Amino acid sequence: MKLLHTPEGVRDIYGNEYARKLWVEGVIKKQLNSYGYMDIMTPTFEYFDVFAREIGTTPSKDLFKMIDGDGNTLVLRPDFTPGVARCAAKYFGDTDTPLRFCYHGNTYTNTSSLQGKLKEVTQMGVELIGDDSIHAEAETIALAIEALLAAGLLEFQISIGEVEYFKGICEAAGIDAQMEAKLRDLISEKNIFGVEEVLLEAGADDKSREQLLRITDLLGTQEILAQASEEAGNQRSQAAVLRLCELYKVLGEYGVDKYVAFDLGMLSHYNYYTGIIFKCYAYGVGDVIAKGGRYDNLLEQFGEKKAAVGFAFTIDALMAALYRQRVLIKETATDTVEYSHDFADQLNAVKERRRAGEQVALNPGKATEDQR
Amino acid sequence: MNKRFLTFALAKGRMAYTAMDLLEKAGIHCEEMRDRNSRKLVFVNEELGLRFFLAKSPDVPTYVEYGAADFGIVGKDILMEEGRRVYEVLDLDFGKCAMCVCGLPSAKELLCHHEFIRVGTKYPHIAKDYFFNKKHQTVDIIKLNGSVELGPLVELADVIVDLVETGSTLRDNGLVILEEICQVSARLIVNQVSMQMNSERIKQIISAMKEAL
Repeated sequence: MKLLHTPEGVRDIYGNEYARKLWVEGVIKKQLNSYGYMDIMTPTFEYFDVFAREIGTTPSKDLFKMIDGDGNTLVLRPDFTPGVARCAAKYFGDTDTPLRFCYHGNTYTNTSSLQGKLKEVTQMGVELIGDDSIHAEAETIALAIEALLAAGLLEFQISIGEVEYFKGICEAAGIDAQMEAKLRDLISEKNIFGVEEVLLEAGADDKSREQLLRITDLLGTQEILAQASEEAGNQRSQAAVLRLCELYKVLGEYGVDKYVAFDLGMLSHYNYYTGIIFKCYAYGVGDVIAKGGRYDNLLEQFGEKKAAVGFAFTIDALMAALYRQRVLIKETATDTVEYSHDFADQLNAVKERRRAGEQVALNPGKATEDQR
Repeated sequence: MNKRFLTFALAKGRMAYTAMDLLEKAGIHCEEMRDRNSRKLVFVNEELGLRFFLAKSPDVPTYVEYGAADFGIVGKDILMEEGRRVYEVLDLDFGKCAMCVCGLPSAKELLCHHEFIRVGTKYPHIAKDYFFNKKHQTVDIIKLNGSVELGPLVELADVIVDLVETGSTLRDNGLVILEEICQVSARLIVNQVSMQMNSERIKQIISAMKEAL
């Protein structure tokens, strides 16, 4: 047998590249732990139901599935959140104080072929469970920013949206769930003419049509919040803008407000997020390097009604951004010492250096090979 | 940050010239690009801080998704076929044609009874979506790379799925439109990261182009 290459979508990481990745992961993990997040490890695969449509953000066709001996469908995790939520509901049901978990591991999605996307990526993230205040969102966003700064990323931005703003307008306009889903997809693609077409077809009134068309324009610095508030026109959307203003204030107290922008047209394709959502963008990579938000209905699916907010970094996308922005990561050099008949002496010298924290490899030298 | 060049990727061919006319109407000039004899690959307008390049049309959304270009001008057919993550912000209203199922007049019968037939096309994703999800007809899709009209003539395929603009190639070969899948036209697409991080400038360009339509 002579199989030398890996299957499509997975790859080997070794040498300096892996050293850099481990360094970045270490820096971020330290940051997450410093906010009091407790490390948690959930299984690599779980029952299909944990990632089913009502719960997860990954469509069933993109999940790697297996069948166990009893005929149950098992799924390789596409992300950590449902697993952590299941675990929190199971073991921490009777706790009233907020729970903070952080995790780190590989995730799997069976994405389309030949588009240059990896099927196995490393994710690292946090979940803050049982705190429904705006301070919880602010903490996770500030933490994400501080972790990226610690990793050395220079140019990035966190864009923040609030799904309630869109839902409020739809509710006021009497738009049904099916149409809402259609609009959600079009607005998140910023496809304004598509939105117009759908609304004309449905015969929506002029006022709500204009409001919905303008959502895609509500994108930029905090100044757009005033404009959004003016245009909201209903209580639910007003409340959403108010939350964003408050959030911006708290982020100012953290001193990270200059890294954020707002995008009220940012909507998740799934009903998973219930309030504030955010994505981190950086020049040089097509994919977002982190995403997260509030998901107050998820834990209920596992039998514990609790508020929750969280985010995850895709480490591979972050590494690509660091590389594209030419951020240098210090590498520890390994020295190689060769021994011949003086093995014992060389070993003693090497031992000393290893104890001092150096990386030293001991190889047989040419002379030894001659002796053989 | 404002120093950053914004880059346009235009689909090669006829569409590129119509796109350039539109850009000019919006006040975005690039004289260099008009010179058909030029061997340059990337054209620059220093004054506006803009760059332009031509690419094979299926590659345009790829350049835009990865941020190698901030803007792209390409047909809806390509966007549907490639399924890239980009913002689709304007319908530019040119390059209009229809995505159709075509074949010999006698093939009409084959589309009515969920028969297992062979479909030749340059657009396997669009064809698959149409036959599987809309018509619920199981078919065998054969990917072809050009002169798709040959398929039914030499009996490689029962029908073809292709773009029809004037229909003259079809007529010359005795083929007809059997069913229309959808209308397509040129679209302006934007990289998601640029849209988020450079929203002011990008929004300006989009509205200038919208005005020019």
